[in-house]
Amino acid sequence: MRERSLTRQLITTVLATQLLCAIALSGAALLHERRERFRTFDVMLRGRADSLLGAVQDAEDPGDNVMVDQTELALPPEDAYAVIDVSGRILGRSPLWDGSFRVPPANGYTNQRAHGEHYRVLRTDGVRVIDREEHGGIRRPVVLVYATPTKQLWHSIFEAVRFYVFSSLLLLALTGIALAWLLRRGLSPLRDLAQEAGKVSAQSWHFQPSPDVLRTKELKPLAASITQLLRGLKESFAQQRRFTSDAAHELKTALAVIKSSLQLLTMRRRTNEEYGVGLDRLRADTARMEELVSRMLVLGRADERQDGSFAHSDLGHSLKRAAAQLEPLANMRQVEIAISAPVGVSVALSEEDGETLCSNLLANAVQHSQAQSRVTAAVRLAMGNVELTVTDQGEGIPEHALSHVFERFYRADSSRARETGGAGLGLSICKAIVGNSKGTIHINSGQDRGTEVSVIFPSQNGA
Amino acid sequence: MRVLVVEDEVRLADNIAAALREGAGFAVDCANNGEDGAILADYHHYDLILLDLMLPKLDGLGVVHHLRRRSCTTPILVLTAVGEVNRKIDLINAGADDYLTKPFDLGELIARCKALIRRSRGSAQPMLTAGTLTLNTVEQIVRQNGTPIDLSPTEYRILEYLMFRPRAIVSKRELLEHLYDFTWEHHSNVVEVHVSNLRKKLNEQGSGTSPVETIRGRGYRLLQPEHTP
Repeated sequence: MRERSLTRQLITTVLATQLLCAIALSGAALLHERRERFRTFDVMLRGRADSLLGAVQDAEDPGDNVMVDQTELALPPEDAYAVIDVSGRILGRSPLWDGSFRVPPANGYTNQRAHGEHYRVLRTDGVRVIDREEHGGIRRPVVLVYATPTKQLWHSIFEAVRFYVFSSLLLLALTGIALAWLLRRGLSPLRDLAQEAGKVSAQSWHFQPSPDVLRTKELKPLAASITQLLRGLKESFAQQRRFTSDAAHELKTALAVIKSSLQLLTMRRRTNEEYGVGLDRLRADTARMEELVSRMLVLGRADERQDGSFAHSDLGHSLKRAAAQLEPLANMRQVEIAISAPVGVSVALSEEDGETLCSNLLANAVQHSQAQSRVTAAVRLAMGNVELTVTDQGEGIPEHALSHVFERFYRADSSRARETGGAGLGLSICKAIVGNSKGTIHINSGQDRGTEVSVIFPSQNGA
Repeated sequence: MRVLVVEDEVRLADNIAAALREGAGFAVDCANNGEDGAILADYHHYDLILLDLMLPKLDGLGVVHHLRRRSCTTPILVLTAVGEVNRKIDLINAGADDYLTKPFDLGELIARCKALIRRSRGSAQPMLTAGTLTLNTVEQIVRQNGTPIDLSPTEYRILEYLMFRPRAIVSKRELLEHLYDFTWEHHSNVVEVHVSNLRKKLNEQGSGTSPVETIRGRGYRLLQPEHTP
């Protein structure tokens, strides 16, 4: 595809417009000059015709005729004329007047071609009164035909118009140059912006548009949106990096536990019981690492699945299955799980995701509950949406931790007492799953008030 | 020697503690967050502090800053899972003495711990000598005039501690603080019994007086023989 240049386009448009103006101006000038000059020319023509009439004199002959006395006449030699009496007889003519000229049928100005040239021809009537003293004057009407070549006239018209054309063309060229320069100067903030944006990379997020750019009304929104875009990108990069680093830390720590357990066991010869205990611990350590890896994979899958696949599942069913799975843990911790869920409430989650979500929320609640307390989980329809709430009567989440609980690897209990389990990924997984089905998740909690997690899904009923 | 392990991963802390007790004969205390670690370290009982970098409440770097600001000179070995060079530089500049990257080798950990303690006591090599006595801190073998002496672990630890501080009077209290962790009952009698046994064993091998001298009411001292002509 051919590259499109705004500068070139603008210059071309301006120059084309200007050229059209120049052509129109020249045309108008031509018409105007022609009109004006022809009018002057016609006046001059009439003047010459009048001079010619002045040369019409009494012939002093018995017939009281008139004649043209050309001796006193000083008319340009290229002009042609003839004086004709009423009977059509030529009383006098210029040397150029011959058969190639026609006498126009009526008075007025006409154009003719003769001798290969264009002529402006005036036909006019004139009257010569002779023998005024003797007979009270005899009126001798004559017809004057006067022709002057227009070559010179046209030449001067074109000369005048050419001036206009040349000045227009000069102006056009100057405009072109000035425009190119001005556009170059005017578009320099745009170039600055492009250059500044070109410097941004994953290593260096610094983007500081020059003051010129920020002062430019048209560029300011662009610069602002680039800045915003970069801020978002930088944040998500940082988040990704933090996740990778945290994940590496967790994995390496888990590995360090296993490795040190093994090395400790083989440090010296031990009794069979000691080996047995050591191997049991190793098995537990390995299971924890397995759990960590599988949770990271679940989270990775939940992160990837953002295409909104059209899965549906019964949320109440998922909740019941999750509760059944957690029954042993709940019994061990002497916590009661109470479920209330209608059948047939569908949400846009795969069965697997629904169960992961429910079991994560329930497990969290059970983990943070004291013995003899109760965990309540409910699915209900509220204002066309599906709401899942899981409530416990545990110690609650301290306020400072509340805003971090969805962060990956975040643990509210600072001692990271691993016995309560979890790698700090449970709620991150929940959030990713809920986010995939366009739902929202909220935590309402306070120290010693217990915790309520509520998840709201857009309704899928009727699907 | 007494070591403080500050590590939030309880299983790892347990393993490190067990390895240091078994492999090096150290007394070990554990803290599972930075704040507790800093409070324990403030007692100055410790000859070495093992510090995880990512800790709840106060991170490893914070603990290092805290201790060095209070002019605590105890060597600090940092355990880190982060491989970033800048973090390591920050740590060492803040006053940490060494670092190990997780997952580490327990043998290497013990060797580094011993080396750090040795250096903090002004000895560059693992062999300590006092008169006719030599003590190999790596193999944990004591010889007098070239003859190996069979010592119990506690006797060895007392002798090692004294040999690191020749000619200085070491109180019973100091010995208790540096040789026993919080899991032990603190009875100064225990020390007396062990020192008495140690003196006996060294006497049997030596020619006359024991190199471990008891200074009544003040403590013990390792006699450094005068320059023999």
